[in-house]
Amino acid sequence: MELPPPLPDTPTPRPSCAGRLLAFLSGLGLATTLLVLLGLLTWLATLEQIDSGLHHTLRKYFDWHAFYLIPEIGGRTVPVPLPGGYWVCALLALNLTLGGLLRWRRDWQRAGVLIAHLGIIYLLVAGAVAHHFSQRGHMLIAEGGTSNTAEDYFEHVVEVTEVKDGKPATIQVIGGRYLTDLEGARTRTVRLSAMPFDLKLDSYIPNAEVRSIAEPPAPPSAAQEIDGYYLLAKPPDPTAEASTPGCIARVLNRDGKTSAPFLLSAKADQPFSVRCDDRVFTIVLRKRLWLMPFTVRLDKFTAEFHPGTMKPSKFVSDITRIENGREAKAIIQMNEPMRYENLTFYQASYQQMGQGPSARMATVLEVVRNPADKWPQYSLYVVAIGLLVHFITKLVGFIKDQSRPSDHV
Amino acid sequence: MEPRIATCLALGIALVAACHEKPDVTVTETRSVSTRDGSVKLFASSDERFGNERRSPLQAETPPGWTELPATEFRLLNYRFGPDGSGEVWVSSASGTLADNVNRWLHQFGAAPLDETGLAALRRVPILGSSGVWVQAEGTYVSGMGAESKAGYGLAGVITEVQGQILTVKMVAPAAQVRTAIPTLEAFVKSLRPAEATD
Repeated sequence: MELPPPLPDTPTPRPSCAGRLLAFLSGLGLATTLLVLLGLLTWLATLEQIDSGLHHTLRKYFDWHAFYLIPEIGGRTVPVPLPGGYWVCALLALNLTLGGLLRWRRDWQRAGVLIAHLGIIYLLVAGAVAHHFSQRGHMLIAEGGTSNTAEDYFEHVVEVTEVKDGKPATIQVIGGRYLTDLEGARTRTVRLSAMPFDLKLDSYIPNAEVRSIAEPPAPPSAAQEIDGYYLLAKPPDPTAEASTPGCIARVLNRDGKTSAPFLLSAKADQPFSVRCDDRVFTIVLRKRLWLMPFTVRLDKFTAEFHPGTMKPSKFVSDITRIENGREAKAIIQMNEPMRYENLTFYQASYQQMGQGPSARMATVLEVVRNPADKWPQYSLYVVAIGLLVHFITKLVGFIKDQSRPSDHV
Repeated sequence: MEPRIATCLALGIALVAACHEKPDVTVTETRSVSTRDGSVKLFASSDERFGNERRSPLQAETPPGWTELPATEFRLLNYRFGPDGSGEVWVSSASGTLADNVNRWLHQFGAAPLDETGLAALRRVPILGSSGVWVQAEGTYVSGMGAESKAGYGLAGVITEVQGQILTVKMVAPAAQVRTAIPTLEAFVKSLRPAEATD
């Protein structure tokens, strides 16, 4: 038999540049690579935080500013640049989204896989929302005492306060984002909307000690001495929340006059005071304070330890939440936080305030405001539902295949 | 250049520009008073602010209209006065000789230094059970500590030697304010005395 002549080659259309890019971004290869990278980053970060501290390492590996990083394990640099974890997650979210949109075959038997994909995307979005919008601080309350304020763990701000009759009246806050980039020669003029003057800030040092020039050793040549004191830079504190930044400030009066420079330090015992138009103002550099919509009273604090150790077995804070004159009792203990009005209060630690018979126990509650607080939980439900749907779909298909009469008798 | 590429480039440049922090910003953020806002010491000195509080070895009657400020490492007593608070009076110890300090003050106002004859001709005023020389000058004040020069300023003060240590009482303010405040300054100098023991 004579075979028919072969058909002439019909040229297959070459995919466009955008098409190839979309294929790459939605591909399984990229997803696999990103997941391996995430695992590697998590492992390296776990090792690095032993020496560098948790906060520093988290920022280095997973902050959105970190486009790439070079690991340092055990004090040694690993000369392999790696992409930042935030961007790996972002790319993974994009990959999963495009994969779902472009590669999902319109086959409802695969609906479960799509739902599981959505759950993972939801989890990644929850991480991004928490990264950008969550706030963490702590609240220290002595037994019998009350507090309506949490102090941020890391962010330092400059506060300008007008004092009337010896009491704070108006408090204006200059956020940390306006301070932290002022290292070296950079300066910033900060216009204060609620004050009759402005501030000029410079020479920010993330972790500094205030030293007297009379105190040996002699100050470094670059140190700027102000009223007998200067800021001495210290290495970053591994725990980060123990860092005490400092900077130099000047008051800019609205008539164009500039005051002499003065030091601001998170270690200062007292604020710097300014008189302007017969009004008195104080200026401090301190950790950001955020007010709760209610007051917390610590009724009783109980701490139990494993025998013969200082390892806690149980911390319990019996508190009363006071809101608009109404009181509500609650118990906060390890792994059992109190959630109320988008805030979560965790039992973090404790302190003894004072010594001797007058000593009082104080609880340290970690306060977290995270709009995506419950999202990871919900996302896991979605993933579980997706996998369940997929399992059931497969099971039903399998049972149908088994019950179908066989062609081979 | 293709329009899409140009758009991408423009967006990229705009993004980079937006990320660059500005040297001049306006803040509007305020917060309410909290349970953490306790009373603070107003006009604390640098020593008080940075945990190096010291007690002045001298005390004096604060004249009406003067505001006493905390002592600092370099100012044993420290005051401000005048309608806008620009007048300063402070008591401090100094190194060098009496002549060195007189001429340093005069130099700060661009005045010619005094020789022994000039020094001997200076008026003497009672201070701390002894006497000191009265120094006065007017002109452009240059403190020599990196601060801006101040035109139309005046100086009045006393320099004395107490137990081998130079002690100075210095008033610096706009010239007209100094002229008006001279009787007050003299009364203040007379009231100077060693601080009483507190223990």
